[in-house]
Amino acid sequence: MEPLLRFENVSKHYPNGVHALKGVSFEMAEGEFISVIGPSGSGKSTLLRAINRLIPISGGTVWLDGQAVSAQRGAALRQLRRKVGMIFQNYNLVYSLSVLQNVLHGRLGYMGGVKGVFGRYSEEDKQEALDLLKELGLEEFSYNRSSDLSGGQKQRVGIARTIMQRPKLLLCDEPIASLDPSSAKTIMDLLKTMTRKRNIACIVNLHQLDVALKYSTRIIGLSKGEIVFDGRPEELDDATIEQIYGTSRKNLMIGGERNDQKNSAHCA
Amino acid sequence: MTRKIPPIAHDLKRLYTGFLLAAVLLFAVCTYLTQFNPMVLAANGDAFWEFIKEDFLPPALPKASRIPGIFSSVLVTLALAMSATTVAAILAFFVALFGSEKVSPFPRFAKVVRGFATFLRNIPALVWAFILFSSLGIGTGVGFVALCITSFAFMVRAFVETMEDVSQDCVESLQAVGATFPQRVAQAILPSCLSGFLSWFLYCVEVNIRASTIVGMVGGGGVGLTLFSYIKSFRYDIALTIILLIAAMVIVVDQITGKLRKELLK
Amino acid sequence: MNADTVNCAAGAAQRPVEKKRSKIPVKYRQRNRFIPMFLAGVAALSVLSLAYLDIDWLKMTSRAGDIGVVFWDLAHLDFTNMDLILSSLVETVSIAVLSLLYSLILGIIFGMLAARNVFRLPWLSVLTQSFFTFLRAVPTPVWVLLMLVCLGMGPEAGVAGLCVHTTAFFTKSFAQSFESIPEETIEALEVTGASRLSIFMNAVLPAALSQIVAWAGMRLEVNFSECAILGMVGAGGVGYVISNSLQGYDYGTAGVAILLVFLVAYCIERVFVRIKKKFY
Repeated sequence: MEPLLRFENVSKHYPNGVHALKGVSFEMAEGEFISVIGPSGSGKSTLLRAINRLIPISGGTVWLDGQAVSAQRGAALRQLRRKVGMIFQNYNLVYSLSVLQNVLHGRLGYMGGVKGVFGRYSEEDKQEALDLLKELGLEEFSYNRSSDLSGGQKQRVGIARTIMQRPKLLLCDEPIASLDPSSAKTIMDLLKTMTRKRNIACIVNLHQLDVALKYSTRIIGLSKGEIVFDGRPEELDDATIEQIYGTSRKNLMIGGERNDQKNSAHCA
Repeated sequence: MTRKIPPIAHDLKRLYTGFLLAAVLLFAVCTYLTQFNPMVLAANGDAFWEFIKEDFLPPALPKASRIPGIFSSVLVTLALAMSATTVAAILAFFVALFGSEKVSPFPRFAKVVRGFATFLRNIPALVWAFILFSSLGIGTGVGFVALCITSFAFMVRAFVETMEDVSQDCVESLQAVGATFPQRVAQAILPSCLSGFLSWFLYCVEVNIRASTIVGMVGGGGVGLTLFSYIKSFRYDIALTIILLIAAMVIVVDQITGKLRKELLK
Repeated sequence: MNADTVNCAAGAAQRPVEKKRSKIPVKYRQRNRFIPMFLAGVAALSVLSLAYLDIDWLKMTSRAGDIGVVFWDLAHLDFTNMDLILSSLVETVSIAVLSLLYSLILGIIFGMLAARNVFRLPWLSVLTQSFFTFLRAVPTPVWVLLMLVCLGMGPEAGVAGLCVHTTAFFTKSFAQSFESIPEETIEALEVTGASRLSIFMNAVLPAALSQIVAWAGMRLEVNFSECAILGMVGAGGVGYVISNSLQGYDYGTAGVAILLVFLVAYCIERVFVRIKKKFY
């Protein structure tokens, strides 16, 4: 069977000479929860944005659901994009609009041009959005300005928006990097349960190694634009970590004392 | 000041010293080139005050029959500034959408759009007025177009910067959702940037009130032309009255736009 | 449009509409009411203005082709009068720079008088500020025209005329910068028994220095473009060359002069952008 996502020797170099990705290849099946780890500048963000073509790649092919992403233009690209949800480090909400409006933005890809421009969402969509907000515990904030929410709440709105897309694949670009530890745990738990319930595959870029170990079914380690590790969390040994981050595992754990057991990884 | 970490302070100090040296050097060169001597001003001081006392004071009113004409010329200046700014703002909004690599659907052309705006902006409004006068003849319409050109170019830059500051992130997220370009504009850019755009618009109105007076002086009509004709015919006392009128007009407009801007950014 | 979307979103709620609506915070509504009102006001005023101006659009559009001809003529650059153009351009730049430097010094002095926290004499601040508000409200060319009348042709009239407006601008901006300095800093020096002037020289001025440099850079752009147009109202400089050659149908010379004005303005802008990046 055709995998959901396939990277074929994908490379990307920016006009300023940076080689963000060098011949990256991997496959992803439905229902997987992959964490991409690696130091800053290792190409994690580029890898994610290559999937929905927010960044056009320079070589190779990204296959999504049997279609080559880089070959798509215009309406076909938009149709492809609505299959792929995305969650951002800075939430990327329109802060001057209400929470509900931001959630409804997830439906724009399905709507005709003019209707979407004027924000005339259908009653079913609105009901679905309200139900989703309820599920995420944000019901009472539906009509607040999104700028009034806390960071964790904003990210939950981001999750609601992307679920509204009914995506097959969810891309999360450092979803918890701007959050405090307890909100971070809430968000990671939500991502895990929401994606499992709806059978959405998920790729998460993470800075926190312990979070990656705890939540993912598979980990991809990037270093300088190349995949240096691809396997189950249990298989990630200290030598590989050192290869990814260029420093020992001990130095990565701020707490220090937890470094001897892999499974004790906490978010906080 | 004393708390500054030494290396930064050192850097800053070098920067300031550089500026001071540049200023002194420029001062010397420019004084030499123009042979400008502030002492001339001081020496002419007496004649200067004499002139002001004799010719300007007290401000005089023109003939009663001329007064309605003067007020209608003030209205022309205000109307010129207002309509030119609005038309320029509408055009600038649509062009600015294509002027930012991050927002435009054709990122390759963003540089071209910005370059075009830079070209228009760096030629003063009055030069545009003169170029247009020589092709379209003298008149209010030409003043209107000249004001439009510079404020259009200014607002394109201001709008592009506002968009890149404010809405870059949410445009990206709507792109990921699969929204079309008009949808991204209406649902992300407009709601998040509108108050910023309008605040720039108000600034442009302020600038254009002054600029339309000046364009008027060389043939655009309005109160500038009235003032110019009184100065040309050596009626300085009446000219002073009109200068006071212009000052009052500008101050009132500045007050109003200031109030509106505060309300807007609340 | 915003209010509209919110309302229709509110209507979608399963619960009674009234209940949902009452949950929309007041602040949100207020904001939504002001912006549409503002937009409607601007639109109405602009339409009225256009009607009042009564521009003969037909005549304008029928002559639109001539604009192309003029630009075509301007593009045939004629370098024979290069000496004249360059010397007038140098004069214009020099006048712009000189007026900037003189105004910088005057602006710091008057800004000191206008700032409320330097001498703590409210009447002095109010007096200085309202005087300079008046000076600022009168466009620069008017001042230059008056100086021309008083002083006769020459760089003196240009520098003096530009200085009036620039000084007024600096006074306001510098006073603002001075006033933005934390009260505690000044108090800390006050208790040491330092004099007002030495507090200003040692604490207020150094703290505002980076802003002063930024204002000055911004003002140089404005001064140059104002200086370039002064010639058109009768003073010398490159503006005079442009207006004179345009009126004499010498488009080639005018084209070169306009191009040079653009290049200088562009260079000043680039340099200023660089400086700004370094400071912030």
